[in-house]
Amino acid sequence: MKIKYFSLLIGLLFIQVSYADISKTVLPESKLIEWKLIEDNFELKLVQRLPDQTRSFFEGRGFSKNITNNIANSCVFQTIGRNNSKDKQQTIHVSLKKWFIKIDQQRLPIKLKETWDKQWNDEQVNSASRLAFRWATFPTEQSFEPNGDYNWGMISFGPQPGSVFDLYIEWQSNDQTKNAWIKNIMCPKDR
Amino acid sequence: MKFYINLLAFLTGLLFTANAHCADMLMTPLTDKPPAINFKLQDMDGKIHQLSDYKGQPVIINFWATWCPPCREELPSMNRGWAKIKSDGIAMIAINVGEDEDTIFTFTGDYPIDFTVLLDLSGEVINQWPIKGLPTTFVIDPQGRIVYRAIGGRQWDAEELLNLVRALK
Repeated sequence: MKIKYFSLLIGLLFIQVSYADISKTVLPESKLIEWKLIEDNFELKLVQRLPDQTRSFFEGRGFSKNITNNIANSCVFQTIGRNNSKDKQQTIHVSLKKWFIKIDQQRLPIKLKETWDKQWNDEQVNSASRLAFRWATFPTEQSFEPNGDYNWGMISFGPQPGSVFDLYIEWQSNDQTKNAWIKNIMCPKDR
Repeated sequence: MKFYINLLAFLTGLLFTANAHCADMLMTPLTDKPPAINFKLQDMDGKIHQLSDYKGQPVIINFWATWCPPCREELPSMNRGWAKIKSDGIAMIAINVGEDEDTIFTFTGDYPIDFTVLLDLSGEVINQWPIKGLPTTFVIDPQGRIVYRAIGGRQWDAEELLNLVRALK
């Protein structure tokens, strides 16, 4: 009898741990979807952004309609990365250059902030707008120290609104390389 | 049976502890203590402030923007933290990145800021400092060296955190 209870408790523990790896939640207020990964103290959240949200953000920061449309239609997600470690030795490093998406059997890199920045000349985008873009987008390289470091920002994955893709993510936990796939991520359509 | 109820409570507690965000999020100490790069920026009234003006006292420097959600989340706690430390000989400065006085003035109607706000309109200062994202906060010791860094928001009115700054005096 005791063994039965004990097995049940241990089973409950493992159900929770495996559930905590990758979860998908519809946010109650916005009805947008959030994907959340927790592994080895690295927490990553990807939250859908409606193209219109992204459009209005960048229009409000001086970007032209044409450019804001290009950005808004590139499957932009709000992204939050966090080091949940209390171990003072565990640094987590993320390089978006290592991430890629898989869509229609094709493997594609994600569109980095540097790539966007290079395609605009000074007449199209002024320095104040570039500054806002730089700081509102997720860093291409970032180290998260223990003690609660986190960062957030937009990532443009590239596909058109309504597309579905798989995302490969990679990170360094101290000297160890870790990776994970988040499957069936949906780029939201305009509402 | 009581044993198993206790065990279940213990395991549940363990799970919640593992999943919860650290309530005791502090700052990362920088062991090499690099010198903080001096800056010269205007405040909301047009007065020029230099970091070197604050030498001899600990300074908390927060880089932020009004459109940054975690900045908005942590600013009220910074204001409460400021109320606790302003008589301790500690300075607190919020450097806004890329926005003008009107934008910040409107914002402070909803999020009051009682400590110094400086304007880095061109982004010259943030580009010189070791920053990847907003908000990022540094603590400078009285010798002008960066001794702590916090990437992302913190609860700046937490005594445990403020005591680390007070200890620099």
